[in-house]
Amino acid sequence: MYSNDSVIGTPFCNKSQNGNGTPNAFFAFGNPNPVLQMQGIVKEFAGTRALDEVDFDVRPGEVHALIGENGAGKSTLMNVLAGRFDDYTGLITFDGRQVRITSPRQARNMGIAVIYQELSVLPNFTVAENIMLGDEKAQRWTRKLDRASINAGARKIIEYLRFDLDPDEPVGQLSKARQCLVEIAGALRRNIRLLVFDEPTASLGSEDIDKLFGVIKDLRDRGLAMVYISHRLAELPIIADRVTVLRDGRMVGTKAITDCRISELTRMMLGHDLAEAFPQKTNRPGKVILKAEGLTRPGVFENISFELREGEILGIAGLVGSGRSEIVRAIFGADDARGTVEFRGRPIVGRSPSLCRALGIGMVPENRKREGNITGRTMAENLNISILDRLAGRLGFQSPRNLAAHATRMIKQMKIDPPRPQMDIQDLSGGNQQKVIVGRWLAAESKVIIFDEPTQGIDVGTKSQMYRLIIDLARRGRAIILISSELIEIAKLADRILVIRDGRLVREMQGRQTDEDALFAECGRKDKSE
Amino acid sequence: MSNDTKKPYAQRIRGALSFRKLQQASILLLLVGLCAFASYRSPTFFTWTNLVDNLLTNAAALGVIAIGMTFVMIAGGFDLSVASTTVVCSVVLVLTMDVLSPYGAAVAIPAALLLTALVGIVLGAANGVLIAYVGVNPFVVTLSTMLVFRGLALILTGGGQAKQVADIPLRNQFNWVYDAQLPLFGQSCQVSMPIVIFLVTFCLGIYLLRFTRFGHYLYAIGGNEEAAWLAGVNTHRIKAATYVLCGFTCAVAAAIFVAMTATAQAESHVGKELVVIASVIVGGTPLGGGSGGLTSTLIGLLLLRVIDNLLTQFSIGAEYRKVVTGMIIIIVVTVDVLAKKRSRK
Repeated sequence: MYSNDSVIGTPFCNKSQNGNGTPNAFFAFGNPNPVLQMQGIVKEFAGTRALDEVDFDVRPGEVHALIGENGAGKSTLMNVLAGRFDDYTGLITFDGRQVRITSPRQARNMGIAVIYQELSVLPNFTVAENIMLGDEKAQRWTRKLDRASINAGARKIIEYLRFDLDPDEPVGQLSKARQCLVEIAGALRRNIRLLVFDEPTASLGSEDIDKLFGVIKDLRDRGLAMVYISHRLAELPIIADRVTVLRDGRMVGTKAITDCRISELTRMMLGHDLAEAFPQKTNRPGKVILKAEGLTRPGVFENISFELREGEILGIAGLVGSGRSEIVRAIFGADDARGTVEFRGRPIVGRSPSLCRALGIGMVPENRKREGNITGRTMAENLNISILDRLAGRLGFQSPRNLAAHATRMIKQMKIDPPRPQMDIQDLSGGNQQKVIVGRWLAAESKVIIFDEPTQGIDVGTKSQMYRLIIDLARRGRAIILISSELIEIAKLADRILVIRDGRLVREMQGRQTDEDALFAECGRKDKSE
Repeated sequence: MSNDTKKPYAQRIRGALSFRKLQQASILLLLVGLCAFASYRSPTFFTWTNLVDNLLTNAAALGVIAIGMTFVMIAGGFDLSVASTTVVCSVVLVLTMDVLSPYGAAVAIPAALLLTALVGIVLGAANGVLIAYVGVNPFVVTLSTMLVFRGLALILTGGGQAKQVADIPLRNQFNWVYDAQLPLFGQSCQVSMPIVIFLVTFCLGIYLLRFTRFGHYLYAIGGNEEAAWLAGVNTHRIKAATYVLCGFTCAVAAAIFVAMTATAQAESHVGKELVVIASVIVGGTPLGGGSGGLTSTLIGLLLLRVIDNLLTQFSIGAEYRKVVTGMIIIIVVTVDVLAKKRSRK
């Protein structure tokens, strides 16, 4: 119903007038009208404005990048577009028609497809079956499924898109990047007018990123409108035509990519120079406290060895999917791995999170929601969980007074605001949740604290507090391992940096010698040997 | 990423021979091995009487339910209420035959069978609507309906007295559902009616599952329900349909049970739902769905029955048989979990 107007070619839609399904262009060129126009979009969550009067438009044959910090509202804006909310206000014009998008399915039918980071392919189906899902033909009386048409249809699309895919291969066996291609092909079959990529490169290696960029450029040259969400600014000059920056739910501006520099975009994203958020470093590394040797998990990381000193901040830099989180999970005993980890010169036998906690190793995990918060419990309970044994009175009974006193102390120390220990942790902001989890390990008096993406999804103010906290911990002799996708954090905070690429430790750098851009180049660099 | 399709041929073959297939093959091998062992140790095992008359005929009714359960489980669902549904159907069948008997067998039996099928479908639909459309967890829904249906059967029989088919005038006209022997392989090797019913249902099921769009979508929903829904698959209707199908297979099984035991008792078949689910899982359809199939369910069912039969032949008590059955489920599922862990690494 939203298709087949004058300018639109519909390459694969079976209902198109172009009955033989001959591939043609997605759109006529030279069409100045935007495919999508969003005006004054407002979306509130429980009283706070996640989107405040945001305008956004995409033209045919354009890649429009949408950037902003975590929590700036870029995902919320795209979720409005994908039909995940029905209570937004504002105008959306799609294909020249004013629309209200209230369900994901409606968005799909209109011609909007979102390729999320978490791909939604069917691992148990073949490439062809995935691409043609929802459009299978069946015979009239026997209701027999027409498998030949599935394969033929898929083959046609794959050829048209020039994707490097085998229609008969089960999708579960493909690499992440190829699964992404399958999802793109499946979306484009359905007469898609607007394709949204939500951080597509976050889990891809550098070769796959190149390949994906090739595909995106090809689609753009054929006239498809695309939105590209990212927080990796370095990618934008390669892939985007225009950039819109969001900050705290508001639009900072839209610019042609040729008109702006990365540093300018950074300032637009943050509202100030990021460097200002970093406090002076005052810590001094001491003697070795943790030593990893030959850590190996086949297919994930290989032969990782390093030392960590008291009072040292050790940064681990690498792209998502390079194995950096898996390495620290292995140290913490959350995953099995070969190799040894020594703590104060003695190997830790049978690593497990509970043993590490007892020794004094703590971890602030990457995924707060899944691995950190004990949801449905109060702030106080979440703060106390790691030291319940120590707070317990005689016979192991928990004394409510001890628990409450300790929680109050930690809330004060972590500057959690509002200081209400009985609040459900789910109702706290991302920054406060993170403070609770950090507080948990402080309480356990951990000697080594692993921070995996500690500033993910928290606002700049809290970030700054988090930096100060990390440096302060190091100054007081705690050893810190820091992982972050925001390479500037590693460059500014770490004393030493391990660069991980494709599961291998490729370089060790001194923190003071490097900056964000050099680190990015280091993490994403291709191995010439391959 | 370009090396995915350019992998050496041998490697791609190995990929195709996935662990799941190997696991299924190993269960088949286990089944064959057990049969071989059984016929070596016990002279009566590999006889037509034991295998077909005894083992298969007894397995047929539960096998029919297992077919319905396989549909439910491939789409990622779960049905604990099958035994209770079967009991309600049995009671309805006997009661209607009793009530309608004055009209003669030609009217009463088809009418009663029709009504029973309808009851099975309605009970299944109740599960299906609650699970697929309302969105309540299948475990909770079917655990509750398991109790509700069982209570319904008790109410219908006035507090749980057995309804004897022997008490109703039509009993001789209905016995064929169990007693009829079809001389498929000559007079000495006859096949009983329950087996025929099972085979017919099985073939229909295979057709639905493997060759229709409906079957295709069941795997899609089991694989990733959200993706299937976004692709335009009516996941609600299809999920609900699996429970309806399952309810219908319970009605079919009820007819076999009534003919076999000549009675409908509200308190029979307790715990049979677990046997059915066990055979589906042992066969290789995982909890959560997305893969598996009817052949694997058949293998799972036969494996459990053969072990049961074998233990009976060695006169090992029912209490030990329960232990063994439970342990086999654990072993099979553990192997599956370990295999998945390994293939992920």
